[in-house]
Amino acid sequence: MSVRRRMNQLVPRRASLNDLVNSMSKSRLFGWLAGHVLVPYWARKTPVHKQPGGARATVQPGDNVQRMMNLILPLKDKTAVGRAKAAMAIASNLDEIYAGLDNVGTVHFARFVIIENNMCMISCYDGDFSNYIRDFVAQLGTVFDSVIALIEDGEAMIPTRDNIDTFINWVHDRDVYQIPDTATELLHYGTIGQPAVKSGEVADLRLIARALILQLHANPNALLGSGYRGYPGISAARIRDKMGFGW
Amino acid sequence: MAERDMARHLVDAVIADSPDHKRGTRPAHTIGIGVKGHFRASPVARDWCVAEHFCGREVEASVRFSNSSGSPVQHDGWSDARGMATRFHLSGGGATDLLAMTLREFFSATPEDFLAFAQAAIPRPVEPPRPWRKIADMLRLFPPLPDPYPGQRTSSVGGSMAYSGLHSASQLAAFDASFLGAPVSYARATYNAVHTFIVTAPDGTERYVRFFWQPAAGVEMVNPDLPPIDNYLQAELRDRIANWPVEFLLLMTVGEMGDPLTDPTKAWPLHRMRINMGTLCLTEVPDDQQAHCEQLAFNPGRLTDGIAMSDDPVLIARKAAYELSRELRGGAACPFDAV
Ligand code: HEM
Repeated sequence: MSVRRRMNQLVPRRASLNDLVNSMSKSRLFGWLAGHVLVPYWARKTPVHKQPGGARATVQPGDNVQRMMNLILPLKDKTAVGRAKAAMAIASNLDEIYAGLDNVGTVHFARFVIIENNMCMISCYDGDFSNYIRDFVAQLGTVFDSVIALIEDGEAMIPTRDNIDTFINWVHDRDVYQIPDTATELLHYGTIGQPAVKSGEVADLRLIARALILQLHANPNALLGSGYRGYPGISAARIRDKMGFGW
Repeated sequence: MAERDMARHLVDAVIADSPDHKRGTRPAHTIGIGVKGHFRASPVARDWCVAEHFCGREVEASVRFSNSSGSPVQHDGWSDARGMATRFHLSGGGATDLLAMTLREFFSATPEDFLAFAQAAIPRPVEPPRPWRKIADMLRLFPPLPDPYPGQRTSSVGGSMAYSGLHSASQLAAFDASFLGAPVSYARATYNAVHTFIVTAPDGTERYVRFFWQPAAGVEMVNPDLPPIDNYLQAELRDRIANWPVEFLLLMTVGEMGDPLTDPTKAWPLHRMRINMGTLCLTEVPDDQQAHCEQLAFNPGRLTDGIAMSDDPVLIARKAAYELSRELRGGAACPFDAV
């Protein structure tokens, strides 16, 4: 048998090799390789750091209403008892929470969710983040203290009223990173101070995929874009006013 | 460059991007279907814009849905932008047009840049990427380059991607274009008018706005893992309209200071205030497609009192380019043309 014929038998033809490679990219083996070997490799070679959390600072009025906060606070006690204590810290303070939120006045909605041993505080508010937390602590300091006492690294912050600036930074750090709405920002600005492509460099747009993977490696929790709004651009105060709620 | 010269260059550039372009047809969005219906303004539309079709009276509308390619060969199932050109028929035989497409932004911020982009996007022969190249991409955590469609010999994607690599203004459109896919129906896609227009409210306030059509039936794309079907969109639309009217909501996003007002390559944030301007209801696919589709000639510069063009240089250049394209293919001029 000629060498060529033997090679043809051993090496699959282009079309089938192509099919093989196509199916490989979706295989579990490649998924494992990508997650456990390639991501750590590229994360070391082109490091991406944890990004600041929450909605980004902007001067545009429409960006300063209905901002999303997604705090993820890991519970110290990761048993059902720990989770129940967290639930009780909220349940036993409902009056404080409702009165506080009404008094803060800039909140569209807020909720507490326990997800996998994290106490998550999720809210949508108008205006500046530090003022929001500052108002919150003024109104709800004791409730915050009872929740924070159950959270990893929280104790040093108590009483939050006396540690307000440290507390604001602590909260900001636990607010999840917001991935930009515009995917190409990941190439240029998404990684603050660490653009995937330096100015003047040729960009392969497929680099966006790797930039996203590395962002999610450094920031495992993420808000995907700025989120949907049913009545965009309107503050809570304006809605109450227009609806005649007498606020 | 004089307006007419630029128009000629633009139309030539569009023609060059479709080497199999047939004279007498549109050099872009060649394959399409014309439908008829009416537009009814929402109760609040008149508070935002004094244009006649936003002032309450129902107006007749002619719409042409299209595939964006300038090739006469139909490939409904290929991933590409789709067009929705709408003519609102106004009193006294007047009209105003709104041209929209499924991409949210455009590739170029100026007509000059578009000429360079179009040059780069001239279709070139394509072959399936070599398997080793795909493996190398996978190891770099890059999505492997896709295989061409069965029977596809040329593509403009490589050229436009290479251009976008060097020109950041084109990147968003090029990136979004790679995810477009093919809609299951012309009635199940969102269409964006992309450019900024200036609308005048009854109290004289002028606002910078962008329009888009949202389908009442919702958005749905075909499964990209299935082999593409070349010819289904027109039959699907005929069937759909025979059974039930097709509706689209016209939404108007209101821009803010700081938003890119004259740059069609930049999308506005999704959380800008948006106003429901009315509902388009499509009820009939006219038999005479020659008159209601092929002969029609839309123009993004065909506006009416209450809506004006922004200083977006691409929008401004399109006005003369579409008029020239109409002349070249012998399309019908609008009798009471404001253009
Ligand atoms: C420099 C930029 C552009 C140029 C030079 C250009 C050129 C053209 C030309 C020559 C035609 C054929 C017109 C005719 O013969 O009637 C056309 C059709 C069309 N274009 Fe563009 N175009 C540009 C940008 C855009 C943008 C930004 C949009 C989306 C908002 C768009 C949407 C459409 C649609 C929907 C049609 C089909 C109209 C119909 O159904 O008759 N184009 N374009």
